Amino acid sequence: MMKRAAWPIASAVLLGYPLIFSTPFQQRLGALILLYAIGASAWNIVGGYAGLISVGHAVFFGCGAYGALASYQYLGLPPIGGLPIGVAASIGIAAIVGIPTLRLSGHYFSMATIAVAELVRLVVSNSEWLGGAQGLSGPPVPRTLLDLSFVSALPYYYVFLGVLAAMLALTRQMERSRIGYYLRAIHDSERAARTLGVPVSRYKLYAYMMSAALTAVAGALYAVMFGFVDPESGLGILISIKMLIMAALGGAGLLLGPLAGAVILVPLEEFSNSLLGGVGAGVTFLVYGAIIVVIARLQPGGLLRPIPGALRKRSARAKS
Amino acid sequence: MNPTGLARLLAAAAFGLAVTGAAFAQSVKVGAIYPLSGVAASVGVYAKAAIEVATDIVNNDHPELGDLPLAKGAGLTGLGGAKLEVVFADNQGTPAAGQNQAIRLITEEKVVAINGAYQSGITLTASAAAERYGIPFLTGDSVAANLTERGFKWFFRTTPIASDFARIYMEFLKDMKAKGARIDSIAIVHENTEYGTSVASVVTSTFKANGLNITQNIPYSANATDVQSQVLQLKDKKPDVLIFVSYTADAILYAKTMKSLDYKPPIMIADDAGFSDPSFVAAVGNIVQGVFNRSSWSVGAPGTKTYLVNDMYKKKSGVDLDDTTARIMQGFMVLVDAINRAGSTEPAKIQAALRATDLKPSQLIMGFKGVKFDEKGQNVLASALVIQLQNGVNYVPVWPKDQAAAEPVLVYKGW
Repeated sequence: MMKRAAWPIASAVLLGYPLIFSTPFQQRLGALILLYAIGASAWNIVGGYAGLISVGHAVFFGCGAYGALASYQYLGLPPIGGLPIGVAASIGIAAIVGIPTLRLSGHYFSMATIAVAELVRLVVSNSEWLGGAQGLSGPPVPRTLLDLSFVSALPYYYVFLGVLAAMLALTRQMERSRIGYYLRAIHDSERAARTLGVPVSRYKLYAYMMSAALTAVAGALYAVMFGFVDPESGLGILISIKMLIMAALGGAGLLLGPLAGAVILVPLEEFSNSLLGGVGAGVTFLVYGAIIVVIARLQPGGLLRPIPGALRKRSARAKS
Repeated sequence: MNPTGLARLLAAAAFGLAVTGAAFAQSVKVGAIYPLSGVAASVGVYAKAAIEVATDIVNNDHPELGDLPLAKGAGLTGLGGAKLEVVFADNQGTPAAGQNQAIRLITEEKVVAINGAYQSGITLTASAAAERYGIPFLTGDSVAANLTERGFKWFFRTTPIASDFARIYMEFLKDMKAKGARIDSIAIVHENTEYGTSVASVVTSTFKANGLNITQNIPYSANATDVQSQVLQLKDKKPDVLIFVSYTADAILYAKTMKSLDYKPPIMIADDAGFSDPSFVAAVGNIVQGVFNRSSWSVGAPGTKTYLVNDMYKKKSGVDLDDTTARIMQGFMVLVDAINRAGSTEPAKIQAALRATDLKPSQLIMGFKGVKFDEKGQNVLASALVIQLQNGVNYVPVWPKDQAAAEPVLVYKGW
């Protein structure tokens, strides 16, 4: 009953948010929440469902961001026109990186993804064509509507909401189809899944490539909104970690987990920076970090996972 | 209601408006976006101190500071003595946070202008937001060339940029050649992130265009823990002139390695940054005697306005102003002077006042030839001096001649 009511309520809240909280900063905050939710949801496919903890998703985010701005820089396209280029590049990289690294298990996979991401960041930092250490920028002033450069955050909000909805619908579809079952089987026990005839390597790679492509979408949208990317802001390890933390905090492997994580963390970060940033000396991050620790301590499975956890406890008690 | 009653009512309403108007003029908010956390946090914290000193100069009477705009009298005299209020924001070292904070300052805090943001990439995104909202943005410190090439109407920059430095080095070297120095082969050693690569490439192209030969180009990582191979390459080729573009820790490492490998170039030039850092001078100043550097800042003799400003700053932060923090303070002062001349908190009037800026050297703390913006918003009178580390641990201005305090000593002494 509650579950059935949750969807319309969530949709109504998301659609109505910028009309109720209508100051420019609040609308922008809403757009940022959705943008980070898109990135974290993309990570969730491989990190949550398949249980492969990637700490190098910044590579794919960077593909999207660099694809968008490079296609403006060299082809004169509106940045969003570079989206297919970024997505194609991310799928290509995912295939090249995935085939050897997906064979690694547990934290060895995580370490390999960090190494690849840092490698790509260094290569891009030294590649003049991609702006080197100075980065690439988008059109300084919008030329046409297609440049998607708006003063108000409202258009961004609804564009991001549409993308997020489409992405979640796709993920939901995936959850219920063969690949979804396979991924969960792999997550629970890779050896058992293999014994049952699941083509483990192939499906891990599919999930990895799908996650990469969707992460590139997030990167391209970021580049369109901010109009600038450099190696640190497009490929830095903090980006990978943010995606991971948001998904994990909200509930990795749950459809709405990443969105829940973003709803908590993005406002927390923006408000703590706005209220405390001017004080200096990083008070912001102390507060931010402390709250993450508190949530992780009280709700280790993610915010959206209280009910299954409680059930397990109850059944454990019943057995004893 | 009879006509006199109506007139009285209108008069009362007008009076009420005038009173609220005056109440609004009590303080004028200006935003300042700097890296108060992240890897560049130390610069941001010093920038904040510098801006707080500048705010003190504006808000309190400082007759001892002479021609410095707004030093005499308290508050913004052009706005009926309104107090200046600075709202600081942390850019966290990311372009996204910089832009978010710019929008917050404009829409929530209602600042009339913004100053910032140190890292060029962040100045780029933050000023793009200000441009869209039609709020003046002035940077006193970001040097990336593309910032003023965007066709922006609300963006202004007071600092000299890489092409200015390159021209100064080139003219200085040509002058030294006229005095008998050899400058046939020039080596440039630079750290390999944005700062080092961009300055090195501008220096290289400017030198080439003016017939000076860059014969060796050595990029390195500022995190390096060993630079022996780089120094040995230099020792092998023996360039006449060696130019460093370095941060602090790596500059110290080079100074020590050059001493241990006993290598001294005939002329050594360093591009500000690491070689100007007070901690560099304290650590290895005695083994890089005679290095040339550039600066637009000089503390000056006791009693001068720069000396007094430095004194105020030192009381607040515990260190002397260096070229970077002084440029930040100067940029902020130029912005506040424009707001004062505009006599209004309307962004368009402040923009017009910035365009009309014409400050003379006596009105500045920096050694610029003045402040005057071209149509791109770049200060065309920005300049720098060549300074040299002489007699221990003090940099003294040595070039150009009319601003020199001592003669340039040729032949690098080292230790």
